[in-house]
Amino acid sequence: MLKKYCYFLCLISFTNINVDAQHKLLICFKNIAGNQPLQKDSMYKNEFGELFTVHVFKYYISNIVLQSENKTEQFSDEYFLIDDADSSSKKIELNTNLNHITSLKFLLGIDSVKNVSGVQTGSLDPAKGMFWVWNTGYVMAKLEGKSASANTPQHAFSYHVGGYKQNENTSREISFKFLSGVDCSNKNCTITISADVLKWFNAINEIRISETPFCHEPGSLATKLADNYAQMFNIVKVE
Amino acid sequence: MRSFQIILIISLFIGTCVGWISAEEKTSAIHPLQFVVPKGWPQPVYDFKQNPLTQEGFQLGRKLFYDGKLSKDGNFPCASCHQQFAAFATYDHNLSHGFNNSFTKRNAPPLFNLAWQKEFMWDGGINHLDLQPLAPMTDTNEMAENIDNVIAKLKADTTYRRMFKAAFGDNNINTQRLTKALSQFIVMMVSATSKYDRVMRGEDTFNLPQRLGYDIFKRKCASCHSEPLFTDFSYRNGGLTADDFLNDCGRMKITHNINDSLKFKVPTLRNAEVTFPYGHDGRFYSLLDVMNHYRQGIINSNTTDSLLKKGISLSNFEIGQLKAFIYTLTDSAFLNDSRFAPPGFENRTQRPPLQHLHASVQGLQSAAH
Repeated sequence: MLKKYCYFLCLISFTNINVDAQHKLLICFKNIAGNQPLQKDSMYKNEFGELFTVHVFKYYISNIVLQSENKTEQFSDEYFLIDDADSSSKKIELNTNLNHITSLKFLLGIDSVKNVSGVQTGSLDPAKGMFWVWNTGYVMAKLEGKSASANTPQHAFSYHVGGYKQNENTSREISFKFLSGVDCSNKNCTITISADVLKWFNAINEIRISETPFCHEPGSLATKLADNYAQMFNIVKVE
Repeated sequence: MRSFQIILIISLFIGTCVGWISAEEKTSAIHPLQFVVPKGWPQPVYDFKQNPLTQEGFQLGRKLFYDGKLSKDGNFPCASCHQQFAAFATYDHNLSHGFNNSFTKRNAPPLFNLAWQKEFMWDGGINHLDLQPLAPMTDTNEMAENIDNVIAKLKADTTYRRMFKAAFGDNNINTQRLTKALSQFIVMMVSATSKYDRVMRGEDTFNLPQRLGYDIFKRKCASCHSEPLFTDFSYRNGGLTADDFLNDCGRMKITHNINDSLKFKVPTLRNAEVTFPYGHDGRFYSLLDVMNHYRQGIINSNTTDSLLKKGISLSNFEIGQLKAFIYTLTDSAFLNDSRFAPPGFENRTQRPPLQHLHASVQGLQSAAH
């Protein structure tokens, strides 16, 4: 027991020495619809001319990897639920030792391991409403709203996109390279990433609200939506 | 550097003290519970390392299992559909009752030997035992509650706060702890003390019809209902048609594969005497109905199991003997095990309601004829 504590404390103490070299990296998500900021109940138009509003927009970000020229940092056990209705959820704060970040990678969604490991806590708690209990697995991303084009009760459309098994996987790896690098050596820096809901309807696949207003299970519609939302991110600002 | 050394020594000292104290607390507060694998059985698939069994966790799970608080109106604890005298299935019901005069869509499976099961529900849609309770808890035609409300009700209850602390070390109550406690209770439900088990261990012998029935079972049933769990956990179409109201396509709902249409998990035969009616929607009232289906009721479709395409030939004599064997799988010690009774009812034998008992006596009589 004592021995274990010695090692543990030594480890902690030594990391403490390095505290000065560590700095904070802030990744901010800014949800948009085309060139407008996303706002609840504002009207937007997709490429097929379908007008719609958005009430719910949520997605998981996980498995973040930062790289510099010769080092890699993985944040493998951290899972973030970005909820458009909760502004504090849109800022991810990471402690990094890298001075010069050349690339950023993350998973939009939850890896298959966490999909088969029982009940989790924190942002992965099934009570967060991002989990299917009858065909178990995480909902990687959710977009809900209303549109006159939706032939449904209350003209509601809702895309709950999930599925982790082979051929049904809806998590997507997103990566950005910074050609000139992000200099974090003497300051805390912020990378702002936009997420464009218009891409859900038309990026790789055409998804019309009039044709498919609902997605509530894993399968081909879910993977098509996933291929689309994989295209929704863009780096807006690095400072 | 010197000040660093001093800090290190001080923090080492504090750390050791804290470690010492927390170790003391742990050993004094939590009583480990042992899961015994019956002799000759395979290793369980449930990962006990992720959820170490304790007396405290088990008792908490037991209280939760019998508590209506987990349902919207308080009337539907887990135990309302999973009754001990029915081997934790719903006694004498094809479908079970749920919130607001609703019925479930499928026959409630019995609960035992779940530590050996990888996937749950008739269609295998749930991939972990800990996740299983969330489905009935939130389904509108079952317990109809949402997780946040359940957690809030438990947090407001001083007894639960005390019991969660005893089981997990602190007052925190969350979905994970709720479901882990429930798993600790239900995973301990092991049915391995039937007459069949005693015979296999050499402590008892079959009578003639039972022995003949066992031979028939091994020739005609065991390829799907394999020993010792009496299921191979595969999904098969037993020659059924879909009910035109329920329209349940089974495993296909999960895999989206048309070759899985009308396939359902092979149910265990253990305790079958008390788990009637049978089939995923409870369409077979008695064992005789099931066997009649296998010998003359098979519907051949693209997904009908190859072993059943021609039906199973069974004479009336063989059916009688098979039933005699299946009744040896009734585990009365498990059905009356006071550890699984509602808290406070340890010394009172649970029985089905009277009118149901009558039905069961009739069932047994007709079986004898």
